[in-house]
Amino acid sequence: MEQNLQYFLIPFLSWEMMMLIWVGVFAGIWVGAIPGLSVTMAASLLISFTFSWDLNSALALICGVFVGGVYGGSITAILLNIPGAPAAIATGIEGYPLAQRGEAGKAIGLCTTVSVFASFVGILALSVAAPVIANFSLKFSPRDFFLLAVMGILLIGSIGGGDPIKGITAGAIGVLLSMVGMDPSTGELRYTFGNIYLMAGISFVTAMIGLFGVSEALTQFRNAGKKSPKQNLDRIIPSWTTFLKYLPLSIRSSLLGVFIGALPGTGGDVAALLAYDQAKRTVRHPSRPFGTGAYEGIVAPETANKGAIGGAFIPMLTLGIPGDAVTAIIIGALYIHGLKPGPMLMIETPHLFWMIVSCLSIASVALMVLGLVSVKPFAKIIEIPKEIIMPVVIILSVIGTYAIQNSVVDIFYMIGFGIIGYFLRLYGYATGPMVLGLILGPMLDANYRRAMQGAENQILPFLEGFLTNPISLFLTLSIVFLIVSQTSFYRRWRGLE
Amino acid sequence: MVKNMGLQAEGAGGEPSGTVKELSKYVPEARRKPGELGIAAITFLLGALGYYFALDMTSGEYSSPSVFPKLASIVIMACSAFNFIKAVWREKPEASLTLTGYLLPMDVVVVLVLLVAYCFILPRLHFVASSYAFMVIGMVYLQRGKNIVRALIISAVSLAVLVAVFRYLFLVILP
Repeated sequence: MEQNLQYFLIPFLSWEMMMLIWVGVFAGIWVGAIPGLSVTMAASLLISFTFSWDLNSALALICGVFVGGVYGGSITAILLNIPGAPAAIATGIEGYPLAQRGEAGKAIGLCTTVSVFASFVGILALSVAAPVIANFSLKFSPRDFFLLAVMGILLIGSIGGGDPIKGITAGAIGVLLSMVGMDPSTGELRYTFGNIYLMAGISFVTAMIGLFGVSEALTQFRNAGKKSPKQNLDRIIPSWTTFLKYLPLSIRSSLLGVFIGALPGTGGDVAALLAYDQAKRTVRHPSRPFGTGAYEGIVAPETANKGAIGGAFIPMLTLGIPGDAVTAIIIGALYIHGLKPGPMLMIETPHLFWMIVSCLSIASVALMVLGLVSVKPFAKIIEIPKEIIMPVVIILSVIGTYAIQNSVVDIFYMIGFGIIGYFLRLYGYATGPMVLGLILGPMLDANYRRAMQGAENQILPFLEGFLTNPISLFLTLSIVFLIVSQTSFYRRWRGLE
Repeated sequence: MVKNMGLQAEGAGGEPSGTVKELSKYVPEARRKPGELGIAAITFLLGALGYYFALDMTSGEYSSPSVFPKLASIVIMACSAFNFIKAVWREKPEASLTLTGYLLPMDVVVVLVLLVAYCFILPRLHFVASSYAFMVIGMVYLQRGKNIVRALIISAVSLAVLVAVFRYLFLVILP
């Protein structure tokens, strides 16, 4: 125990590590805020020049970037309705209406505070319950991941805009587009029409930048000349009462985030969307109706995606399985530094585990300071006239898209998606479900087919599995509950209507 | 955000600025928008094509690669048919609203033309020159020809910052 504490204190006693964490958080916030420049990309870029450093310094920088980057993605979602990363899509649903009301400062302040709280929940789970959660997450079968993806698809009801059928149409188009490219299990080409650029599929990040960024810019140009709302920046830090008011929701959503983050292959994006949906279903008296700037709709996704950070480290450090894309990069770095992530890592090099816990804790404190300091300059962005900010946003979208795989073709896709998104918006088809379909389509397809193959292509054994396996049964019942809870009968019974 | 899209779209049709409409309950509009039938028909066609091309994929088993493409296509066709019928039931669009006027106001047309031109010149002039031209022309047009010097300076400074940060600090390769 005493030795663990010593390991934990290493970064606190090293000014170099301390500085690198703060630099990482700062860089992460700003990189994460740019659509397309994801935290994954920032981590992979930075890791390439930490190969010659010692491992401690590299880990310090990466932990800082991870925490800052996940937070940064929410800033542009709130200010400009353009999420910096998929994990921030849900935040923008309530954040942007708040910015339109002149409450961007308060929204970002609350987002920062609850984010820091959730980071600590994730870190606590990592340090206390890592082996238990990791072993449990390994029990998930392809059928369970399929059910999880179905739960995700049901979110269309929450983010689908006013018309659910149009939301489902957009979601199904997203799923169809996600099928483009080479089928990962059989190598068969689907919807590629002999075009080599389509073989790799359509990147959902490219689609997201187009559907949110460019289409938002085009929509704004319909109202060119309209003044941007003046932002109230008098009270940024939420009061203690406000924090306590949102504490139960923060705890619930953070724990959901930890759990989803710990599942290999899922991450902050799925966690944030599920948490938003969960908040929408369970909060009886939101600060405002959901969709018009409810603060609960910021708290839930933000705490979930920050909780998912600690969660993602759990399977990585205990089993050597990455919880998400960033931890996959970190595993690569550990290998390069001569370590073998897996069950023996915690036994042979316990100092690494406690140092990561420590780096994440320092990064969370740095996030509180740097996040709150950045609120005013960030909030001022929204007051810049649209005629000036929107051309710059388009150029940023171009940089972000090109950086994904250094391909000009991706820029064409992004602009194409922007134009499609603009037309869809005009007719009330929300673009969120389309991105959701693009994200969850491969997860649905791959896991359904694996589960079906496991049942030897027989319908009955496939369906039986939903009721005989405890995890599958729990997820099936959760899906039934999600559907029932959308009915007006249930909502009236619970007093939500 | 997503719900607000409806607001954004409707805002162009006369929504007062600066207000946030109550969107928690969906209230269908009495009149359909110009081109609403067309968009439902296009999405139906997309679903039909999706299904048609999925017929070429391996099928025959419940775990075949064609299962989800076919399923998604059927959902698109069914929903599009529903959207089409629902739009038919609603009153015709206001006579004063034309399809092109609704879809493509002049500002949007100009920005779209600029975007397409930007795509064409980007591989030839590369990032700095083409982006500078895009920003300056965009800003000058959207400010109705005023503040040309300001647009030149803002574009130059923004571009310098973008290049410095992304190219030299974060080592991102620019187009």
